[in-house]
Amino acid sequence: MKNFDWITPATPEAAVQAAAQAGRAFLGGGTDLLPLMKSGLREPTGVVQLKGLTGMERLELTADGITIGASITLAALCTDTLVQRSLPAVFDAARHAATPLVRNRATVGGNLCQRPRCWYFRHPDYACSKKGGDTCYAIEGENKFHAIFDNTTCNIVHPSNLGPAFWAHDAVVVVLGPKGERRIPVAEFWVRPEEDMRTEVALEPGELITSVSCKPLSGRSGSAFEEVNEKQSYDWGLVACAARLTLDGDKASDVRIVIGAVAPVPLRREAAEAVLNGKVPNEAAAWAAADAAIAGATPLRDNAYKVTMLRACVKNAILTAAARARKS
Amino acid sequence: METALKLNVNGEVRQVLAPANHSLLEVLRERCGLTGTKHGCELGECGACTVLLDGEPVLACLVLAVECEDRRVETVEGLSNGAALHPLQQAFADLGAAQCGYCTPGMLMTAKALLDSNPLASEMEVREALAGNLCRCTGYWKIVEAVQWAGRMSTGDMVPPQCLRERNAAGGCSHG
Repeated sequence: MKNFDWITPATPEAAVQAAAQAGRAFLGGGTDLLPLMKSGLREPTGVVQLKGLTGMERLELTADGITIGASITLAALCTDTLVQRSLPAVFDAARHAATPLVRNRATVGGNLCQRPRCWYFRHPDYACSKKGGDTCYAIEGENKFHAIFDNTTCNIVHPSNLGPAFWAHDAVVVVLGPKGERRIPVAEFWVRPEEDMRTEVALEPGELITSVSCKPLSGRSGSAFEEVNEKQSYDWGLVACAARLTLDGDKASDVRIVIGAVAPVPLRREAAEAVLNGKVPNEAAAWAAADAAIAGATPLRDNAYKVTMLRACVKNAILTAAARARKS
Repeated sequence: METALKLNVNGEVRQVLAPANHSLLEVLRERCGLTGTKHGCELGECGACTVLLDGEPVLACLVLAVECEDRRVETVEGLSNGAALHPLQQAFADLGAAQCGYCTPGMLMTAKALLDSNPLASEMEVREALAGNLCRCTGYWKIVEAVQWAGRMSTGDMVPPQCLRERNAAGGCSHG
C-alpha cells in the first residue's frame, strides 16, 4: 500500500472540500478500500477520514422516512430495533453481510460503493475491461460466481447486500458534492457496465454519500431479504432477493422484488411484482412470481445453478415478507 | 513521512512513529514488538489479526494505525494477569482448543469481547461471534467448548467440560 496524506475533516462539507483535489479517497470502515489499496487497484494520494463527521452516524425517523447516516456500521444496523421493526429487509441484509468482525467496521455508504469481487477484476495481473482493458475474462474463463443477467459486456455481480434491500424500501441516496446536495432515488443510483465501465454507482468525482432514507413499513406490510451462500458461516452471496409487500385484505399489493448478486447491478423485477400484485401471497403465487423473476436469465458455462437457486430464493423472500405482513 | 502516534495498548500508553499507510497490525507487530497478533490474509478474511478497539473486535489488518490515536487497543498480550492465564487461555489449554495455534490469538480476542457482554453464550452465539475467525486445524468443536467453558467458569457455573456438548445437544446433562 503506497503512502498517502491523512486528512481528518470535522464536517461532511470539509470532507467534500478535501476530496475535491484529484487522487483523494474517502475512508469509511476501510473494509473494501484498504484491500483495494493493498492490491494496487486504488492508489490515492490522500485519504479523507469519514469517522465522526457531523450527522453521518445518525439513525432516526424523519419526515423523509428512516434516515440512516452513511457512517452507520452494519453491526449497528443489524442490532437496531427501529430497523428490525420498520425495515426488516435492511435488517436481514445487514445481518447476512460478511462476518461480525467486518460488520463492526463496514459502513452503509461503503456497502453501496464497494467494488466488485470478480476475481479477474481483483487480480493485479488481469487488465480486464473494468480496469481499462478490452476483455471480460469471465466470459470464457472461470465464471461460477458471475452474472446470469445483463452479462454480455462485463460479468461482475454487484456485491452489495444493502442495495436490493434499500431498493425494496424505495430508498433515496443523499449525496454531497462540490456542487451541493443531490438526492438520488436508489433505482437511479446504479450504473451498468454499458453506461460506464469504470464505476457501478452514479456518484460524480468527489461526491460523498451522507445518508440513505428508506420508506418504513406501514399498515399490514412486511419485507425480507434472503441470500444463499456457498459457505453459510460467511461468504459472498451467490443469489439474493429483497421483497416487500402490503396486504390488502388477503391479497398482496405494492409489491417490490429486487434481486442481487446475479447481475452487474441490483435488478428490480417488475414482471414478478405484477404476477404477485392482487394475488394471495401463498406458495403457488410466490413460485409464479419467482418464475417471472428468473425469466430472461443468460447463464454462463459454470453458473446455471444460480438460476434454480435464485428461483427458490425469490420464493422464500416473498413468503417471509408475506408471513411478516400477516403478523404485523 | 512518519507521524507520531499515541496509542493505548493493553492499558499502556505508547508513543510510536509510523507512516499513514501502516495498518494497526503492522504497527503492533513491528513498532510495538507485540507479535502475538498474527498476520494472516491481510484482506479481512481470516480473523488471525483480531484485536479489540475500544472493546470491540476488529481486524487489525483493515484498520489504519492513524485511526487509533487515543483509542483503547487490546491484544492477546494483555489477556493474562502476570503468570495467571485469562480463563479463556486456561480453557483453550485445558481443552486442547489449539493445534498449530496461529488462529488462537484472534479467537481469544473475539471470544473475550463476546464473553465480556455475554458470559453464558449459547453454542450458536459462540459460533456466530467466531464466524470470522478461521481455524484450519481443529474443526472448531473444542474452540466453541473452550469459550463456553471459560464463560461459565467465570460466572461460577462449574460445569465439567465433557458435559458441555451434552448440554448443548439436550439443553441439560446429568451434572445439571
